Amino acid sequence: MGYRVAPVLGLILPAFIFLPLLALLPGALHGGGWPLIVNFLTAALQPSLTPNLKAIAITLAVALWSWLLSMAIGLLAGVLCSPTVTETLLGCRWPAGTLRRVLALPRSLHELLWGLVLLQVLGLQPFVAVLAIAIPYGALVARVVCDQLESLPLAPFNALRSAGVPGFAALVTTLGPSLLPGALSYGGYRLECALRSATLLGVFGLGGVGADLRLSLQSLQFREAWSSLWMLAIVMFLLEQGIALLRRRWLQPGAWVGQRGRELVLLLVVLGLLLFPAAQLLDLQWQVLLGPWRWPLPNEVFQWSGWLQPWPQLVAGTILLTLMAALAAFAAPPLLLLICWPWAWLQPLLRTLGLFARLLPPPLTALLLLFVLKPGLLPAALALAFHNAGILGRLFLEGLDGQDPRPELALKAAGVSSRKALLMARYNGIATSYLAYGAYRADVILRETVVVGLVGAGGLGIVLVEALSSFAWAEVLPVLVVYAGLTLLGEELADRYRRFLLLNHTQTGGSLPPRLELLARGAAKRA
Amino acid sequence: MILELRGIVVPGRQRPRLNNLNLQLNRGERVALLGSSGAGKSTLIAVANGSIIPFSGSVFWHGEEANSGRRKQRQQALIGTLWQDLRLVQELSVQQSLNCGRLAIWPWHLVLLNLFMPLETKECSQVLAEVGLDPNLLAVSIKQLSGGQQQRVALGRLLRQGAELLLADEPLAQLDPHLAARLLSLLLELGTTPRALLISLHRPDLLQGFDRVLGLRNGELQFDLKPNQLNSQQIEHLYASDQS
Repeated sequence: MGYRVAPVLGLILPAFIFLPLLALLPGALHGGGWPLIVNFLTAALQPSLTPNLKAIAITLAVALWSWLLSMAIGLLAGVLCSPTVTETLLGCRWPAGTLRRVLALPRSLHELLWGLVLLQVLGLQPFVAVLAIAIPYGALVARVVCDQLESLPLAPFNALRSAGVPGFAALVTTLGPSLLPGALSYGGYRLECALRSATLLGVFGLGGVGADLRLSLQSLQFREAWSSLWMLAIVMFLLEQGIALLRRRWLQPGAWVGQRGRELVLLLVVLGLLLFPAAQLLDLQWQVLLGPWRWPLPNEVFQWSGWLQPWPQLVAGTILLTLMAALAAFAAPPLLLLICWPWAWLQPLLRTLGLFARLLPPPLTALLLLFVLKPGLLPAALALAFHNAGILGRLFLEGLDGQDPRPELALKAAGVSSRKALLMARYNGIATSYLAYGAYRADVILRETVVVGLVGAGGLGIVLVEALSSFAWAEVLPVLVVYAGLTLLGEELADRYRRFLLLNHTQTGGSLPPRLELLARGAAKRA
Repeated sequence: MILELRGIVVPGRQRPRLNNLNLQLNRGERVALLGSSGAGKSTLIAVANGSIIPFSGSVFWHGEEANSGRRKQRQQALIGTLWQDLRLVQELSVQQSLNCGRLAIWPWHLVLLNLFMPLETKECSQVLAEVGLDPNLLAVSIKQLSGGQQQRVALGRLLRQGAELLLADEPLAQLDPHLAARLLSLLLELGTTPRALLISLHRPDLLQGFDRVLGLRNGELQFDLKPNQLNSQQIEHLYASDQS
């Protein structure tokens, strides 16, 4: 007789990654540095009281500009990527498929790589950070918008078309309102991501609070570092809560007709007004975009010597780093919550830890880890895992809150301990959707491996960053090609896995967090 | 005596959900609990299984006062509740769901093993036969079962739990007459010695086979009689609205 494996095992088994990580730990530790870690942690309670407000403002301005640009690019390109739309407007389906394939390239490169490329091409310009985020984000948003458009039922649209309604009017009327809730929810999430990316690019010299953080950590000025971190935490907290509030307000079924639209327009007007001071602060100069662009010469780029790389080691290093970080990031939130579950007072502490994990860019966590660990794979994997565990943890809690509490209460009423009841009931309920999101996150982590190259993790990322920083164009092209190929392959695998999971999982009415639902629907349709 | 409730008070918004309620349940007794919606039947079941702690009054289990903490957990493990909405974990298989009845006493390694291999298959098959289901259903997912089959699995979970006291909160409410009659006779069969049975019901026409009938109105016990002592006036009074 066959036996069904419970979905919750998918949450438990990845935790075994902590065994090899713990086994590697003693060999990677070095003597000094513990007092520095203690100093860093104690400085959290006594930050310097003169935060660099301008640096925070710059990071926010970069995030705002890049987010609005990416949403504009993404919505437009996403709509054009939909075969339904091109068929209605242009009479053929192929432009959609072509555009979709073209957009895979910008999506496959991490914003840091875009930043470094643009830095070489445009020079040190405030625009570099904005464009570096807007380009890959725009392509990502386009893909999600298109997936969502394609997953919507076409019957209402066809009904209007057969009643003689022109194509554009029918599209806007039937698909627009259905697209809006998902787009709003995903848009809010991308704004949080943009803030994290803007901080990260700062660490690599593109200005803002990230640059400040790196300088103060490297010069061991922990109190200054904490003043920036606390400011950033407050901003991030307000942003997350504000977005959650708007999401609840706009996505609730009882919202009266037109309310959502009017409030959305009002918000866009406010954000639009903010763009001007933000542009002034960043000193954005539009003429930079017109040129001159300093592209490398063809003979600098196309050289056979660049293709002579130790490819197996580089690719294997990247994959190993991704797997270690992704499994640890995925397993940590459910495991930590399960351990702390009986003590309710520990949960706010876990949430605060998660907030800091989300806002501290992985290269800085890696730098901190270097105080006590030797450079190599381990600090890089731990830094990536810490950051992504913060992001996954928030989603996990959101999903857990949305689960039906009754099976868990029933188990507790039958004398089952609170931990076992949590594991058997709500963990089982959320396991499939959390696994599906974990697959997506693993794909993000694969791209992110470039940001921790500086701690000697090995892999393609560090070669690429070094080649770009030293104008070694002959090396850039081959590594870029292999890296992009690897990330696109990773994306395809993650997609297939997600589709497999979600098709095998008939929804039982348990609500998913909006973001999960969005990703789930897109994946299910394309299968 | 298995369970005794003494002077139980559970406050509510407008009036108490239970008001100074006293009740004794003996081994082998099958007791029906009648009352209109909002009379306090579900609250009484929840107090009996320990998921609501009363504001005042005491719960005695085998003559010992049931306190909070570990001792309460051990007592709860011997009380099985068939919830109206079943409360099965939809993602599990039938065998895993039946084994959920053992979670309270199983150590952690068995809890985890249950997730990826069949445990105690013989016992689970026996339970399925006892509730009238095909033992071949063990590997099937809960989601694939019909409502009636799920109800039997929920009942099977109570049997796996080895419950001494079976509680059921309106188990017949959403069943067609045929299924309702079959489930009720199954419950009555299971509720004999060494167990005891307490079922809340909406329907005064289904009292045959019970040893006692309790009438609950506005959180207070109105009568505690044998089914043949009950007359239509008492039932009308039980279901009459407060205005009349």
